[in-house]
Amino acid sequence: MSKCAACHNPLKDGTGPALKDLEQRHKWADHNELLKWINNPAVYMKDDPYTQGLKAKYNNLMMTGFADVTLKDVDDMVAYINDAAKEKPKTAVTEEKPATSSSLIFGIISLILAIIALILMRVNSSLKKLSDEAEGISRPDPVPFYKNKIYIAILALALFILAGYFLSKAAIGLGRQKDYQPEQPIYYSHKVHAGINQVNCLYCHGGAWESKSATIPSVNVCMNCHKGIQTYEKGPKLYTEEGVEVNGTAEIMKLYEYAGFDPKNAAAWDPSKAKPIEWVKIHNLPDHVYFSHAQHTRAGKVQCQSCHGEITAMDEVKQVAELSMGWCVNCHRQTKVDFNYDSTKGNKFYSIYEKFHNDIKNHKMDSVTVKDIGGLECQKCHY
Amino acid sequence: MISCNKVRRSPGRVYMPDMAYSRAYETYASTQALKDKGINDTATPVAGTIARGDINWTYPYKNDSAGYVNSAVVKNPLPPLTDAENTEAERLYLVYCGVCHGEKMDGNGPLYKGGEGPFPNKPRDLMGDPVAQNMAEGTMFHSITYGRNSMGSHASQLNTIQRWMVVDYIKNKQNPAAATSAPVADTTAKKN
Repeated sequence: MSKCAACHNPLKDGTGPALKDLEQRHKWADHNELLKWINNPAVYMKDDPYTQGLKAKYNNLMMTGFADVTLKDVDDMVAYINDAAKEKPKTAVTEEKPATSSSLIFGIISLILAIIALILMRVNSSLKKLSDEAEGISRPDPVPFYKNKIYIAILALALFILAGYFLSKAAIGLGRQKDYQPEQPIYYSHKVHAGINQVNCLYCHGGAWESKSATIPSVNVCMNCHKGIQTYEKGPKLYTEEGVEVNGTAEIMKLYEYAGFDPKNAAAWDPSKAKPIEWVKIHNLPDHVYFSHAQHTRAGKVQCQSCHGEITAMDEVKQVAELSMGWCVNCHRQTKVDFNYDSTKGNKFYSIYEKFHNDIKNHKMDSVTVKDIGGLECQKCHY
Repeated sequence: MISCNKVRRSPGRVYMPDMAYSRAYETYASTQALKDKGINDTATPVAGTIARGDINWTYPYKNDSAGYVNSAVVKNPLPPLTDAENTEAERLYLVYCGVCHGEKMDGNGPLYKGGEGPFPNKPRDLMGDPVAQNMAEGTMFHSITYGRNSMGSHASQLNTIQRWMVVDYIKNKQNPAAATSAPVADTTAKKN
């Protein structure tokens, strides 16, 4: 399980496909075939168009082979997946509902109890007054509740706590832009480009591999394909987040206006006359934080989707991650560093951590996280 | 938090923005202030300069029909690809070329998909088409640098070394026999 779950989810597509109903697909009903695939995907893929297609679909990421998996393991795994696929959706629904309604019920009950207590207190005081009058004892008039110091203190405390809660929540939210989804000058759908048409992220955002910034492509990169692709016909209908239908062809025409390109006279196009498109930047880090894309994608082998979410399913891009410091630090605590190195793969840099290599050999630790190699040092990101 | 609108179109506010926004010119920032001063930030590099990490070699021909013809005699200045370089060249091919020319170099990438995809023209089949098989490596380099027919220029995405790596990778795939007996490297071509 530890092996598969890094990329696969029983129900949802992740780095790799969802494993639900796995046996209905391809030849996987025969567990021997499945075993061959898991043991050595590269060899299996060579003469199998289905798995080649899968690789293309999932960002050209090849499944890692697990040579030590046996037929028994495969049987167990499939059984587990089938179980998970059956149970998960049901339990999720049954668990969630009472959670939301129970808190509501508790709220109502405590409100009713509070009202009853208040009424009883009033009843108590008036009864006391009556009995006092009957016995002929004269006491000073009771203080009305709005002048009662205990009531005022409780109210003040409640106000203080409530206001403090909302104030600090709002203050933490200042400068955070989770879910920010601005309107762009051109309705550019990542779902159509990176999802349906499988354009690699790096084709346009090559900087993510080479530099600090992922870089927004210049108009000539758009025109590499859109010199040919002049209409939007074959994809699904496009809608803005507000539900307004978008005419894809008209959006491509907007691009041509920036590029100074006339589709009827393509040969006369002069790329040097193009105007830049002023895209709205979504993921903003404060200036006092240093973040390098290259370090994460190239050395860290982090997938784009880990931070940017299911970008291949987004028409209009929104910020999925919180981009708060806690979010960064959590990932640095949990992410394991690949210390394996040989001439074809891995990162030679990590060979300098002799102590960790020895500790792994001596079974003192089983993996090294980013934190262990200084991922939580302040000056790594703030300098 | 207060708004009922589900779509968040505004970035929100920043508390004490002194250190949130860069005083220096950052990537993506507007350079209008510089332009107003007459400083042009998008000038092309001075002729004869070499970018750090690039190769001390300049492609001699212009983007015209004479250049295209002459490109056939241009030879690859790089030494044969090592295993690690070959892996990198494959990655570059898959990122920048594979989307049209296909993973298997059959001219059937996801953008064309046998006519199903949005791209109107069939990309060149790099394996089966004799034109591609017999194309000189220099001509291939010329086409990647300046673009050819429906293909656009990829010079802004791939630097000189990367373009030659991709050309070498394609040539090796087209002719695996020649790849094993690669010619001796041109010693004048050194990485900077």
